[in-house]
Amino acid sequence: MKPIDYINPELNAVFAALADPTRRAILARLSEGQASVGELAEPFEMSQPAISKHLKVLEASGLIARGQIGQSRPAYLKAAPMKEAVAWMEQFKRFWGTSFDQLDDLLETLKAETPTTIEKDDLNDD
Amino acid sequence: MTDMPTYIFSRVFDAPKALVWKAWSDPKLLAVWYGPGVETVIHEFDLRAGGRWLNEMKWGETSDYSRMEFQEVTQAEKIVWLHHSTDAEWLQSPNPMMPNWPQKLLTTVTFVEDGGQTKVKLEQVPVDASAEEAACFAEMMGGMDSGWGKGFDLLETLL
Repeated sequence: MKPIDYINPELNAVFAALADPTRRAILARLSEGQASVGELAEPFEMSQPAISKHLKVLEASGLIARGQIGQSRPAYLKAAPMKEAVAWMEQFKRFWGTSFDQLDDLLETLKAETPTTIEKDDLNDD
Repeated sequence: MTDMPTYIFSRVFDAPKALVWKAWSDPKLLAVWYGPGVETVIHEFDLRAGGRWLNEMKWGETSDYSRMEFQEVTQAEKIVWLHHSTDAEWLQSPNPMMPNWPQKLLTTVTFVEDGGQTKVKLEQVPVDASAEEAACFAEMMGGMDSGWGKGFDLLETLL
Protein backbone atom coordinates (compact mmCIF):
# COMPACT_ATOMS: atom_id res chain seq x y z
CA MET A 1 0.00 0.00 0.00
CA LYS A 2 1.20 3.48 -0.79
CA PRO A 3 1.67 5.49 2.39
CA ILE A 4 -0.23 8.71 2.66
CA ASP A 5 1.25 11.93 4.01
CA TYR A 6 -0.02 12.46 7.57
CA ILE A 7 1.40 15.99 7.78
CA ASN A 8 -0.44 17.86 5.11
CA PRO A 9 -1.80 21.39 5.61
CA GLU A 10 -4.48 20.95 2.94
CA LEU A 11 -5.84 17.85 4.67
CA ASN A 12 -5.76 19.59 8.05
CA ALA A 13 -7.99 22.28 6.59
CA VAL A 14 -10.38 19.68 5.17
CA PHE A 15 -10.76 17.88 8.51
CA ALA A 16 -11.12 21.16 10.40
CA ALA A 17 -13.84 22.24 7.96
CA LEU A 18 -15.67 18.93 8.39
CA ALA A 19 -15.62 19.10 12.18
CA ASP A 20 -18.53 21.56 12.18
CA PRO A 21 -22.13 20.29 11.72
CA THR A 22 -23.32 23.42 9.88
CA ARG A 23 -20.51 23.11 7.38
CA ARG A 24 -21.29 19.42 6.85
CA ALA A 25 -24.92 20.36 6.21
CA ILE A 26 -23.80 23.01 3.72
CA LEU A 27 -21.69 20.43 1.90
CA ALA A 28 -24.60 18.00 1.84
CA ARG A 29 -26.79 20.75 0.33
CA LEU A 30 -24.11 21.61 -2.26
CA SER A 31 -23.87 17.96 -3.29
CA GLU A 32 -27.31 18.56 -4.86
CA GLY A 33 -26.00 21.49 -6.90
CA GLN A 34 -24.60 25.00 -6.51
CA ALA A 35 -26.40 27.50 -4.29
CA SER A 36 -26.29 31.17 -3.29
CA VAL A 37 -25.56 32.34 0.26
CA GLY A 38 -29.26 33.17 0.71
CA GLU A 39 -30.34 29.71 -0.37
CA LEU A 40 -27.79 28.11 1.92
CA ALA A 41 -28.81 30.27 4.91
CA GLU A 42 -32.52 29.38 4.58
CA PRO A 43 -32.69 26.00 6.38
CA PHE A 44 -30.30 27.01 9.19
CA GLU A 45 -32.00 29.85 11.11
CA MET A 46 -28.69 31.61 10.68
CA SER A 47 -27.82 35.04 9.33
CA GLN A 48 -26.26 35.34 5.89
CA PRO A 49 -23.04 36.77 7.39
CA ALA A 50 -22.80 33.70 9.66
CA ILE A 51 -23.21 31.42 6.65
CA SER A 52 -20.66 33.50 4.72
CA LYS A 53 -18.17 32.86 7.51
CA HIS A 54 -18.68 29.09 7.18
CA LEU A 55 -18.34 29.37 3.40
CA LYS A 56 -15.00 31.14 3.84
CA VAL A 57 -13.73 28.20 5.95
CA LEU A 58 -14.98 25.72 3.37
CA GLU A 59 -13.44 27.72 0.53
CA ALA A 60 -10.07 27.88 2.36
CA SER A 61 -10.17 24.09 2.76
CA GLY A 62 -10.67 23.68 -0.98
CA LEU A 63 -13.92 21.75 -0.43
CA ILE A 64 -15.95 24.41 -2.23
CA ALA A 65 -15.32 27.22 -4.71
CA ARG A 66 -17.32 30.40 -5.36
CA GLY A 67 -18.48 31.48 -8.79
CA GLN A 68 -19.43 34.95 -9.96
CA ILE A 69 -22.79 35.52 -11.67
CA GLY A 70 -23.53 39.23 -11.67
CA GLN A 71 -23.80 40.29 -8.02
CA SER A 72 -24.22 36.70 -6.86
CA ARG A 73 -21.39 34.41 -5.85
CA PRO A 74 -22.89 30.89 -5.79
CA ALA A 75 -20.94 28.19 -4.00
CA TYR A 76 -20.26 24.79 -5.50
CA LEU A 77 -18.54 21.61 -4.39
CA LYS A 78 -15.03 20.50 -5.31
CA ALA A 79 -14.28 16.78 -4.96
CA ALA A 80 -10.46 16.50 -5.13
CA PRO A 81 -9.59 17.36 -1.50
CA MET A 82 -12.33 15.02 -0.30
CA LYS A 83 -10.83 12.08 -2.14
CA GLU A 84 -7.55 12.70 -0.36
CA ALA A 85 -9.27 13.00 3.02
CA VAL A 86 -11.18 9.74 2.53
CA ALA A 87 -8.02 7.94 1.45
CA TRP A 88 -6.28 9.16 4.61
CA MET A 89 -9.08 8.10 6.93
CA GLU A 90 -9.29 4.68 5.32
CA GLN A 91 -5.57 4.28 5.79
CA PHE A 92 -5.91 5.13 9.48
CA LYS A 93 -8.73 2.64 9.95
CA ARG A 94 -6.66 -0.01 8.25
CA PHE A 95 -3.64 0.48 10.50
CA TRP A 96 -4.00 -2.75 12.44
CA GLY A 97 -5.65 -4.66 9.61
CA THR A 98 -2.77 -4.04 7.24
CA SER A 99 -0.16 -4.53 9.96
CA PHE A 100 -1.71 -7.88 10.85
CA ASP A 101 -1.71 -8.86 7.16
CA GLN A 102 2.00 -8.12 7.16
CA LEU A 103 2.44 -10.14 10.37
CA ASP A 104 0.63 -13.03 8.70
CA ASP A 105 3.07 -12.91 5.77
CA LEU A 106 6.03 -12.73 8.13
CA LEU A 107 4.80 -15.75 10.13
CA GLU A 108 4.46 -17.79 6.93
CA THR A 109 8.05 -16.91 6.02
CA LEU A 110 9.31 -17.76 9.50
CA LYS A 111 7.45 -21.07 9.51
CA ALA A 112 9.02 -22.02 6.20
CA GLU A 113 12.50 -20.91 7.24
CA THR A 114 13.34 -22.02 10.75
CA PRO A 115 10.76 -24.20 12.47
CA THR A 116 13.25 -25.91 14.80
CA THR A 117 15.40 -22.88 15.70
CA ILE A 118 12.33 -21.06 16.96
CA GLU A 119 11.45 -23.79 19.42
CA LYS A 120 14.99 -23.60 20.81
CA ASP A 121 15.01 -19.79 20.99
CA ASP A 122 11.75 -19.91 22.85
CA LEU A 123 13.13 -22.32 25.44
CA ASN A 124 16.17 -20.09 25.92
CA ASP A 125 13.94 -17.09 26.62
CA ASP A 126 12.37 -18.78 29.62
CA MET B 1 -14.49 8.66 32.23
CA THR B 2 -16.00 5.19 32.51
CA ASP B 3 -17.70 5.36 29.14
CA MET B 4 -14.52 5.51 27.08
CA PRO B 5 -14.91 3.88 23.68
CA THR B 6 -12.88 0.71 23.23
CA TYR B 7 -11.39 -0.44 19.96
CA ILE B 8 -11.16 -4.22 19.66
CA PHE B 9 -9.39 -5.99 16.84
CA SER B 10 -8.55 -9.67 16.70
CA ARG B 11 -7.11 -12.10 14.23
CA VAL B 12 -6.34 -15.82 14.21
CA PHE B 13 -2.90 -16.57 12.84
CA ASP B 14 -2.07 -19.98 11.42
CA ALA B 15 1.07 -20.32 13.53
CA PRO B 16 1.99 -21.59 16.99
CA LYS B 17 1.97 -19.07 19.81
CA ALA B 18 5.74 -19.29 20.30
CA LEU B 19 6.26 -18.04 16.76
CA VAL B 20 3.66 -15.27 17.01
CA TRP B 21 5.19 -14.15 20.29
CA LYS B 22 8.61 -14.07 18.65
CA ALA B 23 7.28 -11.79 15.89
CA TRP B 24 5.97 -9.41 18.60
CA SER B 25 8.87 -9.58 21.02
CA ASP B 26 11.88 -9.44 18.70
CA PRO B 27 12.22 -5.80 17.55
CA LYS B 28 13.89 -6.86 14.30
CA LEU B 29 10.80 -8.89 13.39
CA LEU B 30 8.35 -6.39 14.87
CA ALA B 31 9.78 -3.67 12.61
CA VAL B 32 9.05 -5.87 9.59
CA TRP B 33 5.28 -5.98 10.09
CA TYR B 34 4.28 -3.08 12.38
CA GLY B 35 2.87 -0.07 10.50
CA PRO B 36 0.90 -0.25 7.25
CA GLY B 37 3.08 0.19 4.16
CA VAL B 38 5.66 2.31 5.93
CA GLU B 39 9.29 1.90 6.99
CA THR B 40 9.31 1.19 10.72
CA VAL B 41 12.40 2.11 12.75
CA ILE B 42 12.51 0.90 16.35
CA HIS B 43 14.85 3.19 18.30
CA GLU B 44 14.48 1.49 21.66
CA PHE B 45 12.73 -1.72 22.68
CA ASP B 46 12.82 -3.05 26.22
CA LEU B 47 9.98 -5.53 26.60
CA ARG B 48 9.34 -5.58 30.36
CA ALA B 49 7.05 -3.66 32.72
CA GLY B 50 8.56 -0.17 32.93
CA GLY B 51 10.45 -0.60 29.64
CA ARG B 52 9.90 1.49 26.51
CA TRP B 53 9.36 1.01 22.80
CA LEU B 54 10.29 4.11 20.82
CA ASN B 55 8.84 3.77 17.35
CA GLU B 56 9.25 5.82 14.18
CA MET B 57 7.24 5.24 11.03
CA LYS B 58 8.70 6.81 7.90
CA TRP B 59 7.41 7.42 4.44
CA GLY B 60 9.15 9.82 2.08
CA GLU B 61 10.43 12.72 4.16
CA THR B 62 7.72 12.34 6.79
CA SER B 63 7.94 10.57 10.14
CA ASP B 64 5.33 9.66 12.72
CA TYR B 65 6.63 9.03 16.23
CA SER B 66 5.18 7.12 19.16
CA ARG B 67 6.39 6.12 22.61
CA MET B 68 5.05 2.91 24.09
CA GLU B 69 5.49 2.38 27.84
CA PHE B 70 5.06 -1.24 28.84
CA GLN B 71 2.80 -1.70 31.85
CA GLU B 72 2.61 -5.47 31.96
CA VAL B 73 4.45 -8.17 30.06
CA THR B 74 3.59 -11.85 30.49
CA GLN B 75 5.72 -14.08 28.31
CA ALA B 76 3.72 -15.37 25.34
CA GLU B 77 0.44 -14.37 27.02
CA LYS B 78 -0.08 -10.65 27.29
CA ILE B 79 1.46 -7.24 26.62
CA VAL B 80 -0.04 -4.02 27.99
CA TRP B 81 1.35 -0.64 27.06
CA LEU B 82 0.49 3.05 27.09
CA HIS B 83 0.68 4.29 23.52
CA HIS B 84 1.66 7.97 23.31
CA SER B 85 1.65 10.07 20.14
CA THR B 86 4.88 12.06 20.32
CA ASP B 87 7.09 14.54 18.54
CA ALA B 88 10.61 13.67 17.34
CA GLU B 89 11.89 14.15 20.92
CA TRP B 90 9.49 11.42 22.15
CA LEU B 91 7.43 13.97 24.11
CA GLN B 92 3.69 13.46 24.04
CA SER B 93 2.09 15.73 21.43
CA PRO B 94 -1.01 15.81 19.24
CA ASN B 95 -1.11 13.86 16.01
CA PRO B 96 -0.10 16.52 13.46
CA MET B 97 -2.73 15.28 11.05
CA MET B 98 -5.59 14.91 13.49
CA PRO B 99 -5.30 17.15 16.57
CA ASN B 100 -8.18 15.42 18.35
CA TRP B 101 -6.75 11.94 18.00
CA PRO B 102 -6.20 10.66 21.60
CA GLN B 103 -2.59 11.25 22.61
CA LYS B 104 -2.56 8.38 25.06
CA LEU B 105 -4.09 4.93 24.45
CA LEU B 106 -4.00 1.98 26.82
CA THR B 107 -3.28 -0.97 24.55
CA THR B 108 -3.72 -4.60 25.61
CA VAL B 109 -2.67 -7.51 23.42
CA THR B 110 -3.37 -11.12 24.37
CA PHE B 111 -2.19 -14.34 22.74
CA VAL B 112 -4.22 -17.56 22.95
CA GLU B 113 -3.20 -20.78 21.20
CA ASP B 114 -5.83 -23.19 19.93
CA GLY B 115 -4.97 -26.22 17.84
CA GLY B 116 -1.70 -24.88 16.47
CA GLN B 117 -3.26 -21.52 15.65
CA THR B 118 -2.95 -18.34 17.68
CA LYS B 119 -5.62 -15.77 18.35
CA VAL B 120 -4.27 -12.29 18.90
CA LYS B 121 -6.68 -9.82 20.43
CA LEU B 122 -5.86 -6.12 20.58
CA GLU B 123 -7.79 -3.56 22.63
CA GLN B 124 -7.24 0.18 22.73
CA VAL B 125 -8.87 2.61 25.13
CA PRO B 126 -8.09 6.35 25.33
CA VAL B 127 -6.54 7.47 28.64
CA ASP B 128 -6.89 10.99 30.11
CA ALA B 129 -8.74 11.89 26.91
CA SER B 130 -10.73 15.10 26.46
CA ALA B 131 -14.34 14.77 25.32
CA GLU B 132 -13.19 15.77 21.84
CA GLU B 133 -10.49 13.12 21.79
CA ALA B 134 -12.87 10.44 23.02
CA ALA B 135 -15.43 11.42 20.38
CA CYS B 136 -12.82 11.47 17.63
CA PHE B 137 -11.61 8.01 18.64
CA ALA B 138 -15.12 6.55 18.92
CA GLU B 139 -16.14 7.90 15.57
CA MET B 140 -13.00 6.75 13.83
CA MET B 141 -13.64 3.30 15.25
CA GLY B 142 -17.13 3.43 13.82
CA GLY B 143 -18.68 3.41 17.28
CA MET B 144 -20.73 6.59 17.45
CA ASP B 145 -23.00 8.27 14.95
CA SER B 146 -21.88 11.88 15.16
CA GLY B 147 -19.10 14.31 14.35
CA TRP B 148 -16.25 12.62 12.54
CA GLY B 149 -18.29 9.57 11.68
CA LYS B 150 -20.86 11.71 9.93
CA GLY B 151 -18.14 13.73 8.24
CA PHE B 152 -16.66 10.52 6.92
CA ASP B 153 -20.04 9.19 5.73
CA LEU B 154 -20.66 12.51 4.04
CA LEU B 155 -17.33 12.37 2.23
CA GLU B 156 -18.13 8.92 0.97
CA THR B 157 -21.55 9.89 -0.35
CA LEU B 158 -20.13 12.96 -2.05
CA LEU B 159 -17.49 11.05 -3.99
